[in-house]
Amino acid sequence: MSEHDTRQSFDEQLADTKKGALALGGLVLENTRRATEAMLENDLDLAQEVIAADDEIDDRYAALEHAVFSTLARQQPVARDLRFLVALTRVLYDIERSGDLAVNVAKGLVRRDGYTMSPDIHGLLARMSRGAADLFAQGLDALDSLDAAAGRRLDDADDEVDDLVGELYSAIAAESGGMGFDLAVELSRVGRYMERIADHAVNIAEHVTFMVTGSFPDDLPPGVRDEA
Amino acid sequence: MSQERPRAGIDLARSRARSEDEDRGEGGVVTTDTVIDVEHLDVFYADFKAVGGVTLGFPTNEITALIGPSGCGKSTVLRSLNRMNDLIPTARVEGTVAYHGRDIYADGIDPVEIRRRIGMVFQKPNPFPKSIHDNIAWGAKINGFRGTKVEMADLVEQALRSAALWDEVKDKLSESGLSLSGGQQQRLCIARAIATQPDVVLMDEPCSALDPIATLRIEELMLELKRDYSIIIVTHNMQQAARVSDNTAFLNVSMGETGQRTGRLVEFSPTDQLFTRPREQATEDYITGRFG
Repeated sequence: MSEHDTRQSFDEQLADTKKGALALGGLVLENTRRATEAMLENDLDLAQEVIAADDEIDDRYAALEHAVFSTLARQQPVARDLRFLVALTRVLYDIERSGDLAVNVAKGLVRRDGYTMSPDIHGLLARMSRGAADLFAQGLDALDSLDAAAGRRLDDADDEVDDLVGELYSAIAAESGGMGFDLAVELSRVGRYMERIADHAVNIAEHVTFMVTGSFPDDLPPGVRDEA
Repeated sequence: MSQERPRAGIDLARSRARSEDEDRGEGGVVTTDTVIDVEHLDVFYADFKAVGGVTLGFPTNEITALIGPSGCGKSTVLRSLNRMNDLIPTARVEGTVAYHGRDIYADGIDPVEIRRRIGMVFQKPNPFPKSIHDNIAWGAKINGFRGTKVEMADLVEQALRSAALWDEVKDKLSESGLSLSGGQQQRLCIARAIATQPDVVLMDEPCSALDPIATLRIEELMLELKRDYSIIIVTHNMQQAARVSDNTAFLNVSMGETGQRTGRLVEFSPTDQLFTRPREQATEDYITGRFG
């Protein structure tokens, strides 16, 4: 992290924590993609695998959180180190929450014993789920390369996923008479979960902007803006 | 270049524009919000330039910390603020140090009076080998206190109360100042400094000889004192600067062409900003411990 070696072990701790966050993000990304595939293919076995994989995600998340708190307490970081570690706790939260949302998709599928949907809705769900996973991958790339510009870029790219959710809700509303209330609600939820994963991806990129520059793209932390 | 006077939180351009305006009105040096204004300060020890080109204003009733590696000139700058360097025969100062707008190095300025108004507390607690009472009374008398015995008792009590020491020593004022603990001795020295009714207190590593609890007591005291005094503290302890100061000046050593090492001001910012978002890479490297 630096050409100087006065804090070599601290630099190694920071690098290890970042590697751990990226690895955790990789597991969540993989689970998001598998949840999408299970949902689109009605693959209940795959859905069970998604649900089972969440335990490891939770364990790793807890360990990384602990590592960050320990580093904060023991190294008393300032400036970019402080920004990195504080923002990383938020990034870890966004990653872990995304993991839970992927599990929600899988659980919904298992609960209903598979989904029946029109080609129209199937296509929309496929596009938006892949869009969300793609954004999530970009968020992780931003963390990996500490790309300060990614925050704004991902925020713009997220509009596409948001538009697809709008289309999905319209399509579900149009077909709801035929598919029944419960299924309409379940499929709407899947859309909502995927939309939230895309939002978490944007948050990750915006926290990376903060790590690098000390301010957020819109001067407000993501949570505040989302709720505004 | 004649009027640059960076103030924490004010960028150079704005600061310059403001000081030019006010200079026209006053015909002197700006003192708004600042108690001491240093301009183009160079300090030499014989031919050796220890500090070069330091320009900054110390805000009134705030705590300003000077930080930087050994040899960066932070103690030299501090000592130049109340002419403590006069006591070193080879020391020489160029530039101006204006206290309430008056250059303290101008002809006809009495350095003793300057040191009465700009008090100093040193690294190692240095009470006189006298009673607790006399430690306060002596300094006040030397500096012209001519009150009655009762008024002197009042002054001693007030100074000890202000230094958060009264409750601990009120029943043993005749005991030696040296009988106190290190932390108490340092608070006695602070009481002695404020008994002469200064409005600036300079502190040169005031806690480096103290344990963590005594250190925290001095830090709490500083936060109390800044209501009535402007405080300027040199510290090696960056966490201390971060905990107590309102503004932080980072000084660093720069190498001249012939290898001479001169201390220079790198950044002067609100403490909150300096420790979260420093403007200069050199500041970032120093405070995060990546000095090569």
